[in-house]
Amino acid sequence: MSASRRVVVTGMGSVSAGGIGGTAVVAQILAGAPSPIRPVRAFETAGWPSRLGAEVDDAALEGLLDPGAARRLSRICRLTVVASRLAVEDSGVPRGPALGLVVGTEHGDFRSSEEFVTGYLKRGPSGLSPMIFPSTVMNSMAAVAAIEIGARGPSITVNQATVAGDLAVARAAALVRDGRALAVVAGGVDEMFAHVYRRLSEMGMLSPAAGRGTEGCRPYEPDHNGVVLGEGATFLVLEDLESARARGAVVHAEIRSAAWGNVPAAPHTAPRRRRDLHSPALRALVSAGVAPSAVGTCYGSGNGDPALDDWELGLLAADRLPEPRSLASRFGQHGGLGALRVAAALDRLNKVALSPTTLVMVHGLARGGCRTALLIGRAA
Amino acid sequence: MTRVVVSGLGVVSPYGTGAKTFWTGLASGTCAIRPLTAIDTEGFRSRIGAEVPADVLASLGPSRRRARADRLAMAAAREALADADLSPTDRACAGLFVGAVGGGMLEAEAWYWEETRTGRPSPRIGALRAILPSTHAETLSSRLGLCGPKETVVMACASGAASLALGFDLIRSGAAPLALCGGVDALTRVCFMGFNALRLLDLEPCRPFDRDRKGMSIGEGAAFVVLEEAGHCRARGGRAYAELRGAGMTTDAHHVTSPEPSADGMVRAIEEALTAAGRAPGDVGYVNAHGTGTPQNDRVEALALARVFGPGRVLLSSTKSLVGHTMAAAGSLEAVASVLTLQHGLVPPTANLRVTDPEVPFDCVPETARAVELDAVLSNSFGFGGQNVSLVFGR
Repeated sequence: MSASRRVVVTGMGSVSAGGIGGTAVVAQILAGAPSPIRPVRAFETAGWPSRLGAEVDDAALEGLLDPGAARRLSRICRLTVVASRLAVEDSGVPRGPALGLVVGTEHGDFRSSEEFVTGYLKRGPSGLSPMIFPSTVMNSMAAVAAIEIGARGPSITVNQATVAGDLAVARAAALVRDGRALAVVAGGVDEMFAHVYRRLSEMGMLSPAAGRGTEGCRPYEPDHNGVVLGEGATFLVLEDLESARARGAVVHAEIRSAAWGNVPAAPHTAPRRRRDLHSPALRALVSAGVAPSAVGTCYGSGNGDPALDDWELGLLAADRLPEPRSLASRFGQHGGLGALRVAAALDRLNKVALSPTTLVMVHGLARGGCRTALLIGRAA
Repeated sequence: MTRVVVSGLGVVSPYGTGAKTFWTGLASGTCAIRPLTAIDTEGFRSRIGAEVPADVLASLGPSRRRARADRLAMAAAREALADADLSPTDRACAGLFVGAVGGGMLEAEAWYWEETRTGRPSPRIGALRAILPSTHAETLSSRLGLCGPKETVVMACASGAASLALGFDLIRSGAAPLALCGGVDALTRVCFMGFNALRLLDLEPCRPFDRDRKGMSIGEGAAFVVLEEAGHCRARGGRAYAELRGAGMTTDAHHVTSPEPSADGMVRAIEEALTAAGRAPGDVGYVNAHGTGTPQNDRVEALALARVFGPGRVLLSSTKSLVGHTMAAAGSLEAVASVLTLQHGLVPPTANLRVTDPEVPFDCVPETARAVELDAVLSNSFGFGGQNVSLVFGR
């Protein structure tokens, strides 16, 4: 591995309920289009506690995939392939052994697992499809995306609730910084799937949890009452600064530092502890050589889960960081959301009249204690 | 350059609990592959595998409500931490990297089977809370007091090895002085049925590198190691089993289930690991091969080794011939095997190997372990999605 490198963002691609495209389209979506959260259309929710979601319009994917791939790939793989390819096209980063890939996902491809198992339950061993089985492994999205974009460096799938995309971007920044790759396509993906939606809803994870109040995604608000699911894939291209400059790439911003850690908590719990002796947010600031006051804006992972929202607010306050903004009410909770938050940070740095030294933090916290911090600034 | 040592080992394997039990089984060449009992195999071509015995599972502690994979992971992780003799303060700054694929799928399958077949809600629905692979890391970190960076890595059959590679990077970057790294997978019906459907399972215990090999045998287990910055380990009086000198991670970007025929991705991973280790191919005396026993994998892996080392220039053997293919756990089980091979100066054999495939131009140490003085060992792990991870261990 080589010495530490500076990591910049040179492109993005997104397939979300808000739209499909690269940097320009994502900026338009972030600029204020109405929230696409509405009653779910892909499956029947009658009788379930929840009915809202932020869905990708499958018709919009037509023309972005060749018919063979569209037929061969599972839906979540199609989302991944299109978004990762848009990111690579947006950046112009070359294919090859120096290009890595990190895919974050909360749920993976449960649709394929269900389809595979159903074949057996209906027809016994003869009903099992060898074509579907590989998609039941959670790295299948990375597998097909790596082929699509020619990523022959490290290809990593990280599984993590709530902050899968944040963790993927942080992991990718470390891969570039440590010299494992000159560029890494990183982000996350999830799809809405009826079985997952129904079970999360019945477990009280989705708004309106236990039927309390009006259904909706209201992160950090006093009346927040659960998550609204979204779906889609968003990927960024993280690149070594020197390499990006050498090929004349457009540099959108610099990942000044990336840190992640763990606030011990039992699985699926959010204990609201305000003390984090190993705070990744503070470690990211130390690594960048700045104080909390250098952070002008903070994007948080608040998604309307009351316990998690409150825990995150407490930890950020303890670290003397600004009150966070959330994008979950725009896109719904899904694995691509972390990369969308980074995209929003880039957009804010480039559009809002912030001081040149002001930084934006993208913060993440999940039940179970995974905590992430990305510190983003203008590329000098 | 920061040096990273292995200071603790923990294993639950088809031989039983403990790294010592694991090594005794490997060194004696005992094949643990036999008829499966944990899942219904009626009607399938292959009905064998290497499972953790029921009495061993029962001995893993009181939390029988936990998913089988969580219990395997917890037992192996506890052993590794105890073996390293870490203080609570050391644990608090430890990173955690878990390679996993199946998560709590075994229990979730039982729930799904029951609801689908009866058409009624099943009380087993609580199994869904542990279905995701990331549950292992949450369980381990909360129960063991680990507060450093935590990641769940899903890289198919290379997941366990990748967990060590990422822990190695973490320590070398200075972000943490130590990390608990390893992989876990319990048997699942989906995995068993899937490899049967792909016709990749041998009807008999697998025979890696054999001319007449017919496929792999699945298995289950967990293995964790404590990786530690060498100075940190020395300062607290810890024991270093071996040094993890280099790690390589590449992707074929060729096919979802088949390795690239030219072996280019594997060669790049091996060379990257050797370069990071500052070692020449001639320094490596033994390769703990991925060695699944499928015709395609073994042929392409042998090609990769021949390209890097030259035909016949290194010993190799397959741990999977002894304990089956333990999926996400395989890479970390084989890392432990590699460390113990170095320590004991004894190369575990490839079981069930009668006639070596002419396309595998290497001494694959058939049937009986061999005493060899070694300075460096390579451990290969490959997986669906064209994932290639190679680790170089040194004394």
